[in-house]
Formats: sequence, structure tokens, C-alpha cells
Amino acid sequence: MINPYYMQLIILVGINTIMAASLNLILGYTGQLSIGHAAFMSLGAYSSALVTLHFGFPFIISLLCGALFSAIFGVIIGIPTLKLKGDYLAIATLGFGEIVRIVCLNLDITGGAMGLRGIPKKTTLLWVVLAVLVTVFILNRIIKSRIGRALIAIREDETAADSMGINSTYYKILCFGVGAFFAGLGGGLFAHYMRFLHPKTFDFMKSIEHLCMVVLGGLGNMWGAFIGASILTVVPELLRSVADLRLLIYGAVLVLMMRLRPQGILGPQTDIAPAIEKIRLKFKSIWHRLARGKT
Amino acid sequence: MFIQQLMNGLVLGSTYALIALGYTMVYGIIELINFAHGEIYMFGAFAGLILVTVLKVPFFLAFFLAMALASLLGITVEYLAYRPLRRSTRLAALISAIGASIFLQNLALWRMGAQPYTFPSPFEPKVYQTAFFTISRVEIIILLFSFLLMIGLSLFIQKTKIGKAMRATAQDKDTASLMGININKIITITFAIGSALGAAAGVMVGIYFRTVTPSMGLMPGLKGFVAAVLGGIGNIPGAMMGGILLGITEVMGAAYISSQYRDAVAFALLIMVLLLKPTGLLGRPTQEKV
Amino acid sequence: MTKRKKKMIMFAGVFVCLAMLLAVAGCAPEEAANGEDGTIEVKIGTVGPLTGGAANYGINILHAVEIAVEEANASGELGNISLKLISEDTGGDWSAAANAFTKLIDVDGVDVIIGAVLSSETEAGGPYAMEAKIPTISPSSTAKDLTKGNPYLFRNCLSDEVQAAQLAEYAVEELGLGKFAIFYTNNDYGVSLKEAFETTAAELAEVVAVEVFMDGDNNFKPQLTKIKESNPDALYIGGYYTEAAKIAQQAKEMGLDVQLLGADGLCNVALIEIGGEAVEGIYATSGFYPDDPTPAVQNFVNAYKEKYGEEPDMFAAQGYDAALIVINAIKTKGASSEEIREGIAATKDFPGITGKTSIDEEGDTIKDVLILKVEGGKFVRVR
Repeated sequence: MINPYYMQLIILVGINTIMAASLNLILGYTGQLSIGHAAFMSLGAYSSALVTLHFGFPFIISLLCGALFSAIFGVIIGIPTLKLKGDYLAIATLGFGEIVRIVCLNLDITGGAMGLRGIPKKTTLLWVVLAVLVTVFILNRIIKSRIGRALIAIREDETAADSMGINSTYYKILCFGVGAFFAGLGGGLFAHYMRFLHPKTFDFMKSIEHLCMVVLGGLGNMWGAFIGASILTVVPELLRSVADLRLLIYGAVLVLMMRLRPQGILGPQTDIAPAIEKIRLKFKSIWHRLARGKT
Repeated sequence: MFIQQLMNGLVLGSTYALIALGYTMVYGIIELINFAHGEIYMFGAFAGLILVTVLKVPFFLAFFLAMALASLLGITVEYLAYRPLRRSTRLAALISAIGASIFLQNLALWRMGAQPYTFPSPFEPKVYQTAFFTISRVEIIILLFSFLLMIGLSLFIQKTKIGKAMRATAQDKDTASLMGININKIITITFAIGSALGAAAGVMVGIYFRTVTPSMGLMPGLKGFVAAVLGGIGNIPGAMMGGILLGITEVMGAAYISSQYRDAVAFALLIMVLLLKPTGLLGRPTQEKV
Repeated sequence: MTKRKKKMIMFAGVFVCLAMLLAVAGCAPEEAANGEDGTIEVKIGTVGPLTGGAANYGINILHAVEIAVEEANASGELGNISLKLISEDTGGDWSAAANAFTKLIDVDGVDVIIGAVLSSETEAGGPYAMEAKIPTISPSSTAKDLTKGNPYLFRNCLSDEVQAAQLAEYAVEELGLGKFAIFYTNNDYGVSLKEAFETTAAELAEVVAVEVFMDGDNNFKPQLTKIKESNPDALYIGGYYTEAAKIAQQAKEMGLDVQLLGADGLCNVALIEIGGEAVEGIYATSGFYPDDPTPAVQNFVNAYKEKYGEEPDMFAAQGYDAALIVINAIKTKGASSEEIREGIAATKDFPGITGKTSIDEEGDTIKDVLILKVEGGKFVRVR
């Protein structure tokens, strides 16, 4: 029997992996600095929870509703803002994130400052594992496809990509929509796990946390998203025993990590698969040597 | 009421402007969003408070000492958290800045505790009543100091040799270093000045609102950053303009739309300005090189 | 098999493996450690913000609970039962509160929880307590209907509806005020207060302006300018002391000279320290009066001052009482979670330092509302 606390951490790692992976598509592969990812999460969370509460749809439909709503918003937001570059895009997404939070805090339908209560608990480990796999699978397919190559071209040099005939605006909006879709999915899982929603948690610091996960794990690397999400979910919990020094250490760790490995734990190009393959080959050769020694 | 609200916005905006200057100066030189700036503002307020209440330093001396101490902190943060990352990606530097910000805020919480400290007011509270608006003595002093500091900074950057070197570094780091400018020294000076201005804002906000807490840097830090972008990040007159515009919009939003959406109005303005003029109000469009 | 498929499978494999690893790492919660000499250890968990913007509230409550637990352990009133305190931080974030609750319940194996502090934290944590059947008593979460439908969740604080309604009545009938403006903080506490006060005040007299501010705001002049235009007799502040002190000051600077009213969130000496003369004459509802001469109150105030060097506020007093209610439950019913739950639910006319306290069938508190007034730089009791 799994201890519910560890089970909860695994589920949160899963949800954060979805958040980090979807941000990775926007940030790591397309090179668009977005610091409003928590807003998409909250849109997905609120809309899927409201669909469940008001219409009683099956869980999967609620999740898809939340994700779709978030994706539609992603496209609507993306059309004007993606004209902006670099830090200006970052600050526009930050502003958008804050606006979403303030609106959620003041609407009646979201429960406002009292929060949204009584969401049924439907998210289980199985759902989260499935959602992580589907997310990573689809994102991987996108990255390996023609779309993915276009996105990477935009990251490397937008002007050059444009002149090669890539419609960069179209691809950027597409990537924003897809990223928002999966962030909404993560939000829906989160809402149906926590059973309660309040805008406070989807603030600017939450977006920063997602950003840290992606950068810490390694930009443009799906494994990185998973590793970053795991570390930033588990480390604060491990630091609970040092109570008042918890966030102090957390901050110092971020600075040190960037000093020691600014490209993230996994670099952009490295992959865990070759690393494992290398270890396997090494074992194989040792095994062969041992076997040869015997005969 | 309109003129009163305009004055309210001006006072609020001038503190944003002072914070925004710190962001914009650092960004202009090394293109880094210095997330720890809000914490330096908080540190400045605490330094001023301790100097005045514990060490009994006269207020004006404490004000300048707090600025000096905050400069030291700014230089230290730059040396430890940003300098080693100068050759790596901008995102890595950004995360490092966020880490420094979390670290400093929680250091203050750990050492000082969470309760709000009361800043003793150095001036007799007095309110001036005019036909259209009322203004307190502290507000006049804040306005005066902010404008003096801003004018001083502009003169420094336009007229002195170091200011010239700073402008050159902002324009092109490599060429500037070829011209014999010590880039590291310029960056250090930039952090020192930016942090001193942040601390000045911290102390002034401390005496204005009478409280200092470890988490006080969070929202003003964010707003100062927004103000810097609004004016065109890296542009010093832009930061002043952005700060004041942000303050006035926020106040007008609360007054004529709804106080529930006071912050949302400020961010909506930001997005609108960016859509119409993607590099901020006074920002120069950058030339894309292929 | 293509390379991509292989990679996907590998990803799935590693994810599941890590999940299993974490799961194995966490064994069942520790059983209550019963000493060889027959002592029983009861673990009390606390949850609240110890970092972040709301840290002040959580730290004060934790301090008070520490005092109550130390006193109970030192006095030997519980016989062979000794209490152990385990505190968890939320940073003021309700989703972190969910982690704190599960950690306390499933890893530390606490028998009872005192917390959480903010209403949103208690909302998020409450269901976990119910599933694990761990009684939980919040010393400060005032949101409406919070404890409804959860037999394991209790609270020990003034109800927002009751205190706001009573103050509105008092203001109209005793103080003779007629035109009210309401200025509230945009969180569950402020919204509950505002709704209750607005309803009662509108019935008995007139509400001329309603404005809102955010937690941690500094500059209230835009809203106060608007309130001044509506020309009220009194301003009801639905928020906490830091903001209230600044509101009072800025109102005075602007020449908004009206009677100020507030709720229990104002009752902290910091209100007077920060607000100075501007908060003179303010009326506020409260459950706790630190200058109450009864020995129980004075003992607590002195113990708190001695240990932490400051006067306890309403949060600390309610935290202390919540701990006393738990200790009383252990004394009267027993040390198991179920017995503690029964004991808390049976609390009736408990003589706490925040007045006589009873717990109703919904887990809500019934206690007397005091009205305090700031006079000569001190809180004095007027009712």
C-alpha cells in the first residue's frame, strides 16, 4: 500500500511534468519566453471544475473542456502578443497572467475570494500517468514532425525562418495553443485532485516555478521537464524538516544550480536515452569480458 | 476629486519610477531582469529602519547610509549570482536572479520575523489643503526627493565620464571594452546606483506608510518592473515616465472603473501599450540582424 | 520497434519506476510511540503560514500552541499522556497546505491537527482530515460554512457574520451612526465581513459606499478619495491590523474624519503602533481582551510576553484556546483520534481566554462578541 503522502507527491510530480512539458514546447523548442503559464493552468482548472460541478460530465470530458477552453484562450492571447519579442513578450504574458488571476478573484462563478469548493475528487494516479504519457507522446510527435522543425527554426532565428518560407506567426500561435491546451489539462487534473480552487495559488510565482522547472531540467528537452518538475516538487518537501530555512535553501539552490550547470541538468541536446544506452553497453562489455575470462 | 486622484497617482507613480530606474539601468547594461531588485528595495527600508531606531542615526544620514548599504548588497548579488553567468544563456541568469530574490526575502524573514515593523516618522505630520486637493508633508518630500534623484541620475549619465562609459557599454559591450572601458567596473557601478535608488524608494515608502516587512518588495518589485517595460526597458527617462503613468492609471482605474480591478487595469494598460508600441513608450526599435 | 517508440516506453518505464521507488520509500505512518514506562505520546500537528506575506498570523498561532502544550506537559494534568508538537509551513498557499496535511497525517502520524490558519488552507486540508479521520480544529479560518458537512473539522474563532452584524447594530443603536462606508480586503475574511455588515447596516441604516483593497496594499488613497465623496458617518474596515492602521492614517491625512469600525482582525497592538493617533476612537469586535484581569488571561499574556517578547494578539489567543480545547478533549475523553474528536465536539461553555466557548453540531464556535475601543493608545472594553 502506497503511503498517501508519497502518492500525493507522485501525482503532483505528474501534474507538474505536464505543466513543464507544455511550457517547454513554448519556451524550450520555440524560444518564446512566457511567464504566464499558471494562467492557462488556472483557466483549465476552473473551467473543467465548473463543467463537472454544473453539468456533471464524465471526468474525461471535463478535462478536455478545460484543456480546450485554455487552448482557445491561448490562441486569443497569442494572436496579438506573439508579435512581441523576448522580454516584452515575457512581460505581456505576465500581465495577462495577473489579469486572469484578478478576474478569477472577482467573478461570482469562480467563487471569487471565497474559492471554489466541493469539486469531486476524480484524479487518480492512473489518470495522471496516462495524462503524462499522452502529453509527452503528443508533444514528442509534434517536435519530431515538420511543425517541430519549424518551431525550432523560429527559435534559432525567426527572421531566417521567415525568409525560408515558414509562416512564423502561424506556428507560434499554434505552439501557444498546444502549450495552453496541455497546461489546461494539467490544471483540470489539479482541480479534481485538490477538490478546492482559489486564485491565489495561480499567481506570478507559480508561473516562475514552471519556468524554473523547465530551465533547471534543460531547455528543449522533454526529459528535462520531467526531471525539473520532480526536483522542484520533491525538494521543497524534503526541506520541510528545516522549517524556517526551507525557502532560504531553495533560493540558494537555484542560484548554485545555475552557476554549476547553467544549461540545466540535462543540456538541450543531450538525452537520457543515449546515456542509459552507454551504461548498458558498458555493462555488456564488462559482462563479455567477465564471460571471456571464464572460458 | 479628479485632481485629488491625479495627485494620488503622481505620488504612487514616483515611487514606482524610482524602483523602475533600478530595473532599467541593469537591463540597459546587461539585458538581465534583476528580479532581486524588489528585495534590495526591502533591504534598503530595513537598513534605514535599523539605523534610525536602533543606532539612532539622524534621518537624513540614515537615508544616505541605507542607500550605500543597499549598493553594497546590489554589488554582492551581482558578483555572486550574475557575474558567473554572464556568458551563459539569459534564462539561466534569470533563474539565478529569481533564486537570489527568494533567498534574500527569506533571509529577511528569518532574521527579522514576519511582524510589520513601525517606521518612526521623521517629520511632523502636516497636511496642506488647497482648493483642489490635499497633500501631506511626507508626500511633498517624496515627490521632491524622487524628482531630485531622477534629475541627479540623468545628469550623472549625461554629463560625467562614467555616465558616458555606461552609455557606451549599454550600446555595445565589446566595442566599449575595445575603447578601454572596464566593463566589469561599469556593471558594478550600475548595480550600485540602481540599488541605491531602490533603497531610496524603500526608505521613502517606509516613512510614508510607516511599516516595513520582509515581503514588502514583492508587489512593488513587480510594478516597478512593469513600469520599466512600459517606458521601454533600458531607457532611463522611459522608466520615470512609465512609473508615473502606471501610478496614475492604477489610481484612475480604482477611482473610475472598480477598485476590484485596480491592479488588472494597470496590467491591461501595459499590454495595450506593448501592442501599439512593442518596445515600450520611449524604447528604440532594435535592428534585427540576419 | 522504432527509436521513438522505444524512447516513449523508456520514458513510461522510468516514470513508473520512480513512482514505485517513492512509494516504497514511504512506509506506513509511524505508530504512536508508547514509552516503556506506560506513557502515551499524543502528536499534535499544526499547519499554517510560517513564511510569506501571511507568516505573521501563522507564527503567532504556533507560538501560542507551543505555550499551551508546554504548560500541559509541565503540569502533569494529563497523567501519563505527553504531547508532542509537529509544525508544518504552508507559505500561505492552500495547495501547499494540502501537502502539509497529508504529511502530518500519513508520515508523522499525528492524532490531531490545529490548523490551518487561512480559510483557503483549511478548505484544501479539511477533506484529508476527514478521510483519515483526524480531528482538526482551526483557530482562525472564518469563511462561511467552512466546517459544514465535515464531522472532523472544527474551528475556534468568531463567526464573521455574527461579529459584523453585532457591530452594525451597535453602531446604529448605541453610537447613532446612519451612513456607512465599507472598505474590505479582497479575501474570504474581508468578503464575509463585508456581506454581513452590509446586510445588517442596510437594514438598519444606509450603506453609501463599498470599496475593496488587496492584502498587503499600502496606498489606499484612491479608494478613500472615492469614499470621501460619498460623505459617510462611519467607515467599516473589513481586514487586518496592518492595512487598517494605514487606512486610518491615510483617511485622517485626507480629512476623512469619520468614526472607524472594524472586526477582530484589527485587535493587535501593532494597529496602535503603526496607526498612532489616527486609530484613536476606533471600535472593533473581538473575542479576546488582553487586559482582562482574569488569571487565565493574565497568565497567558505574561507567559507569551516572557517567551516571545511581545503582546499576544487575537490569533495567538485563539490558537491558545484551540490547543486548550484539544487538551481538554484528551483529558475528558481519551487520547485516540476518535476520542479527541468526540471531546472537541462535546465542548460546551469551555472557559477559554477568548471567553466561554461552545462547539455546535456543525463544528462551528459559539462565543461572546466583545467590543473594544482604542482609547489613549490602548484597547479598552466597552461591551
